[in-house]
Amino acid sequence: MSLIEQTRGALMRATTVYRNTPSAARVAALTARLDEPLRVAIAGRVKSGKSTLLNALVGERLAPTDAGECTRIVTWFQDGHTYRVDLYPRGGRSRQARFTRDDGVLEIDLGGLTPDAVDQLVVTWPSRALRTATLIDTPGIGSLTESVSRRTWELLTVEDDEDAPADAVLYLMKHLHSGDVEFLRAFQDTEVSRPNPINAIGILSRADEIAVGRMDAMASARKIAGRLATDPRVRRVVQTVLPVAGLLAETAATLTETEVQQLRRVAALSPGDVEDLLLSADRFVNTRPELGVTETERMVLLERFGIFGIRTASSLLRRGVASTASELARELLDRSGLADLHAVLSSLFFERREVLKSRSALLGLAALVRSTPAPGSEDVAGEVEQIIASAHPFNELRVLSALRAGWITGKPEVMTELEQLIGGAGTAPHLRLGVPGDAGSQTVRSAAFEALSRWQRRAENPITSYELALASRVAVRSCEGILSSLVRAEA
Amino acid sequence: MTEPTTAPGADVVRRAVSVVDLGLQASHAYGREDLAQRLQPVRRSLDDPGIHVVVAGEFKKGKSSLVNALVGAAVCPVDDDTATAVPTYIRYGEQVQAYLLYPEDPVRREPVAVDEIRRHVTQENSPSAAYVSGLAGVEVRLPRTMLASGLVIVDTPGVGGLGSAHAAASLAAISMADAVVFVTDASQELTAAEVDFLRQARDLCSTVVCALSKTDFFPAWRQIRDLDTAHLRRVAEIPVIPVSSTLRARAVRVNDAALNHESGFPALVEFVSQRVAGGGVVRVATSAAAEVVAVARQIESQFQAELAALSDPETSAKVVAQLTATKERAELLRVAAAKWQQTLGDGIADLTVNVDHDLRARIRQVIAEADKAIEEADPADTWPQVEAWLKSRMAQEMLTNYTLLRRRAGELSELVAEHFRDASGVVLAELGIYNPSTVLGQATVDTELELERQGMVTQAWSMMRQSYGGILMFTVLPAMLLHITVAAPVAIGIGLVMGRKGLVDEKKRHLQMRRGQAKNAVRKYCDEVTFAIGKDSRDTVRRVQRQLRDFYATRAEELNRSNAEALKAAQEVAQKTEVERQKRVRDLQAELARLKELRERAAAVRG
Repeated sequence: MSLIEQTRGALMRATTVYRNTPSAARVAALTARLDEPLRVAIAGRVKSGKSTLLNALVGERLAPTDAGECTRIVTWFQDGHTYRVDLYPRGGRSRQARFTRDDGVLEIDLGGLTPDAVDQLVVTWPSRALRTATLIDTPGIGSLTESVSRRTWELLTVEDDEDAPADAVLYLMKHLHSGDVEFLRAFQDTEVSRPNPINAIGILSRADEIAVGRMDAMASARKIAGRLATDPRVRRVVQTVLPVAGLLAETAATLTETEVQQLRRVAALSPGDVEDLLLSADRFVNTRPELGVTETERMVLLERFGIFGIRTASSLLRRGVASTASELARELLDRSGLADLHAVLSSLFFERREVLKSRSALLGLAALVRSTPAPGSEDVAGEVEQIIASAHPFNELRVLSALRAGWITGKPEVMTELEQLIGGAGTAPHLRLGVPGDAGSQTVRSAAFEALSRWQRRAENPITSYELALASRVAVRSCEGILSSLVRAEA
Repeated sequence: MTEPTTAPGADVVRRAVSVVDLGLQASHAYGREDLAQRLQPVRRSLDDPGIHVVVAGEFKKGKSSLVNALVGAAVCPVDDDTATAVPTYIRYGEQVQAYLLYPEDPVRREPVAVDEIRRHVTQENSPSAAYVSGLAGVEVRLPRTMLASGLVIVDTPGVGGLGSAHAAASLAAISMADAVVFVTDASQELTAAEVDFLRQARDLCSTVVCALSKTDFFPAWRQIRDLDTAHLRRVAEIPVIPVSSTLRARAVRVNDAALNHESGFPALVEFVSQRVAGGGVVRVATSAAAEVVAVARQIESQFQAELAALSDPETSAKVVAQLTATKERAELLRVAAAKWQQTLGDGIADLTVNVDHDLRARIRQVIAEADKAIEEADPADTWPQVEAWLKSRMAQEMLTNYTLLRRRAGELSELVAEHFRDASGVVLAELGIYNPSTVLGQATVDTELELERQGMVTQAWSMMRQSYGGILMFTVLPAMLLHITVAAPVAIGIGLVMGRKGLVDEKKRHLQMRRGQAKNAVRKYCDEVTFAIGKDSRDTVRRVQRQLRDFYATRAEELNRSNAEALKAAQEVAQKTEVERQKRVRDLQAELARLKELRERAAAVRG
């Protein structure tokens, strides 16, 4: 029985136990979530670029990115058939809210409510991107306004009487800061695995700012992200760290033909002149009036691209790497790091969505039976605990986090292999086995057999440490899983 | 470039140098080598007043770039990822030179090539790497007009965020600085942590400016500037100066005055060199002038007593009698029973007890809080947080404790000065009983008194600074920043094969064990820090005591010497012929006129 089926079974038992009790709705909600898209929250400090990244992922400028009041409210973006916004006041009934769009950006009418009085906003928007994942935009922490920080904490730290709203988290960091690690602790639950790097990815956002907009900014940011991803403190809380130049990604995803025309005028200048023009934001706006782009247009360009974006885009156009708007958009998406993020999201979150969703549901059930015992809830608790303790995907996650926390130790190359094998870099067989993606099934199969016997030996070797022996048994089980999936694929 | 080519306050220093040199000449000429010795360090302080400007700020805000742009040379390594791990001191030198500083007593300097600095000051992954290597800082000497007046620019480590133990180290540096340049960038408005830090910095140092960096890159910098100005208005009057290090570096390279103006740096340079360096230099020069006045007074008093003795035999006998009586009084200033000595002894004893008690109370509180935090969660999950929290809490508490020490030591030094002044004033007044300066215009006397008071303040300040001399930063903080070791928080059995019940039991048992380990680690760490800080503050107190004692004992010695010289001269009067007497009177009158002129010139040093 697959994990998701087991989870459904536990939920069905809970439905019976809690039928006609106030908790029935909660169980129903948990059950419904299994069939909904994965919920991904975007969190991070104030001004770390959360809304900008959300827009880039959706491919539309939906979320307001200025410091207006809506960025101070938790806002859900979900797929649907119609365009609508629902407003949930604190301690009141939800109602539909009026909204307008200003240059694409949603302006939501709070109907006279202050942001503090609004619990959350739910934006329903027909979008292909939102069909894969529901995105949750959170207000930042570490702001000067205490109440804004508290809202984010409320969303991400879960009490027993409610369920975790998010299945996975993108955590935006501007360059590691001690406060950030503390914040991440909020995601660490105590049941499935302790410190929990399994449902979080770190994003080194505003990556272009790290090198203050130099042309090699992304290379530099990639280096830093790579170092962060190997920092033991970071490894405890996120799976990996990726650099993303959020503003550029958002603009690339929503690039207009007019903008490309304006950029062509910049690209037509000699490289030296471009350098002078882009020496500072002020100079870009104020010098070379003959360029044929008005001051206002230039200010808008700056707002959309930033100095780094204009430098990159004009250089791409001048060198002929891109000539049309769609080519430029593709190049910019690539250079902004968003393309890499998409790939990682799909291997670490989307391919594992059933595990992540089951995990959310089981944690929710465990919390429910703890806080609200009912006749028969003991059995639900037993079933949940049994699934959590024995389901192989959870064992993998547990070993993964134990590895990340440094509890399992051994030769570095063995640790790297173990991490890969249990799905640390993605769950596809070739990723687990570390063979090229285009390797033939024969190569994959023999790699799997080799791995199997290697890990069997490690599991049985008497000098293997206790922790590593346990982990090796999980690895053996992962190899068997790969082999049986290969057999199924061929059948 | 539009920057000033002469150092500010240069004329004040020139005047001070000339009166100190005259004072030295006079001391030698009158055979008062003791007074010459008193003036020598004063003369040296004019050559190198050591006015410290500390550049502080959050991680990755462009502190090092700003320092480089300020001095127009790439002396502080700039990197996208690694951070400056030890402070860099940039001061004036005839030619470019660099030294590595090691925390020994006195500080050990080791020459190093300028392009080798990077390897030593940047932080490679581990925050404690630099401290483990034992490096305390880097000194770079540059031939720059801006630095010529004795300005020292200190680039501080920004590692670890403003709430961390490193922030306490920056604040400790700030407490000894003449001014602070706080760097924030135009990417966002000031954060709560930054505002907190600025508030603390403002309490420790009266001159603070906020530099808003990277204005070339962030188009909305004007908006951020206005927001920051509004935030700062709630703290204190701290000016915000928007700057772009990139534009400045380029302006310097291609010698473009317009671009330099655009970079915003002229305003920062003006602030640093006029307000900070200029102000600091004037303070040092004033203090030097006060010393010259004091030295001139000593000699004048001695001469006046002799002059009185020369007038007629009757007065001569009276003068001898008076000086003999004064001798005893002056002797009393030297002995342990002198009031200032008692004040000092009692004060130091109180200080030691109070500071120690304060420290212990603070650490008890920290331990209690740590225990509570450990009880509330599983150390296996939270240890890294607990460790970071513990370090920063301890650093903050230590800083507060140190501020207490500093304040109390300052108060004590003023009290001792006052008691010494009272007693020595009587001696000096008796010695110069016939001093005609009492009938001089009141204005002159007021100027001199004011000068003397300022001199005292500056002196106490520089004495304090010498006593602390970075000890806190060199020995205690590095020790604190090292990792706290917890014996394997690790044996957390993954519990894959155990049954349900076993799993829960196992967890509980291990949890208690882990909590015990964590608590022990906290205690061990706190003990070590308490020991290090306790020793450091006792040493500091001892140094303060020794310095104050030596300082005033030397002053007492000088007074005794003046009195003895006068007495000797008065006793010899009887052996002199009338012609000799006449000549001596004329000589003395001429010398007194010269000394008076010197005193007046010294009083006019400030202009």
